[in-house]
Amino acid sequence: MDKNTTICNEIIFNKVYKAHGKAIWRFIYFKCGNEAQAEDLVQDAFIKLWQNCAKVPVEKAKSFLYTITNNAFLNEVAHKKVVLKHAKYHPDKVENQSPQFLLEEKQYHQKLQGAIANLTEAQRTAFLLNRIEGKKYREIAEVLDISVKAVEKRMSLALKSLREEIGEL
Amino acid sequence: MKRTIMEKHYILHNYLNGTATQEEIAQLKADPEYASYIKIAEATKCFDTPDFDEKATFNAISEKLEQQPKVKKLNLWPTVLKIAAVFAVIVAGYLYVDSLETTISTSVAEKQNFNLPDGSEVALNANSTIEYQKNKWDNNRTLELDGEAYFKVTKGNTFTVQTKIGAITVLGTQFNVFARDNKLNVNCYEGLVSVAFNDTLIKLPTGKSLQIKNGTLVTEHQSVTEKPSWIDNESSFENASLTTVLDELKRQYPITVQVDDNLKTKRFSGSFAHNNLDLALQLICAPLNLTYTIEEEEDQVTIYAAKNK
Repeated sequence: MDKNTTICNEIIFNKVYKAHGKAIWRFIYFKCGNEAQAEDLVQDAFIKLWQNCAKVPVEKAKSFLYTITNNAFLNEVAHKKVVLKHAKYHPDKVENQSPQFLLEEKQYHQKLQGAIANLTEAQRTAFLLNRIEGKKYREIAEVLDISVKAVEKRMSLALKSLREEIGEL
Repeated sequence: MKRTIMEKHYILHNYLNGTATQEEIAQLKADPEYASYIKIAEATKCFDTPDFDEKATFNAISEKLEQQPKVKKLNLWPTVLKIAAVFAVIVAGYLYVDSLETTISTSVAEKQNFNLPDGSEVALNANSTIEYQKNKWDNNRTLELDGEAYFKVTKGNTFTVQTKIGAITVLGTQFNVFARDNKLNVNCYEGLVSVAFNDTLIKLPTGKSLQIKNGTLVTEHQSVTEKPSWIDNESSFENASLTTVLDELKRQYPITVQVDDNLKTKRFSGSFAHNNLDLALQLICAPLNLTYTIEEEEDQVTIYAAKNK
């Protein structure tokens, strides 16, 4: 086998980490809401990838990493509440909002944040992969190893329970 | 335009997948329930996870990988190559040794009888050498001779004796070859022998002998014997020069011979035995009216003309 095309090559391994490391960490964080735990799982996944570098072709590395972390997560017990930070603003947000509006919006976000934390792990992961990571249903189905229909269902249920928790505007 | 719940749900998923048109989204927003879904979806987009320290994590991975006992991949190639190399050397060595010429030689006063791989018998006279390739013998019955040998060839394909002067080829016969210095004598005792000499091919039938000396060819009859006399430890000569006789004597006995140059041209017919030097010298010297002395310690023989009988 040509060493340059396997993950056993450190440069290739580095590239794979750069390409997927962060996404996997976020993926786990959506699931467990625990930064340290997410980091541990990322480390474990990449160590396993290195140990199996000869058996995993580069193009299969991504799904290998997701499968490993998925399985590892199922074995983990403790779940913490997902804490998201309010990082991005709507690009279409106009300045000169009234203080009243800004306050309302802040409260809305806090409520939403709490509601997301209360979602089931399955719904939250699918929902945040779609909303924050911008993944299509097909991609989510792939990394979670479920059907697109199942992703649709999780999305619907997630929206429904979020709306119920924060109430109508 | 009113849309059914199913349709709205479909559009909602399209919207979440980023494939809904502005118009469809506007229609969706008309329904307060879906409007709030969109608001939730939009607002969630603003969230982000805490920062992930990509570099630190990678360093941690690298560190852990170094600590781990290295999973040594069992690489068989070097071992296989080592074994293969040893085998290659053995096989090459065997083939080399096998392809080497087999050399059989005799020294002064030594005779040797042996069989070739096909069963042909060879009697090698003193101070002679035969070389042949054992592994090719079945296909190529060729040997090189320097000296004198008597061959009893079993029937088969062509049997060739290469000498410096010419090549003798036969199919199955008995013959004697004497090839020394510039002389080539071939005696055929049975069958038919062909001698290739320069560009000519000479057929030698039973009972004939052939002499080539310094590039000239002499065919002559041979006294009717069944095999060369040297086989029976006796050298026979017919009208041979004293030099020729003494050369043969020196091959059969480990001696050096001193003789006056003017005596060397004397001709000798007769024979001498290989097992008694004193008797041999007597047999040579007496008919030629010569005497000799033997200095035992240095194996030095001096021959001179007899002063008076």
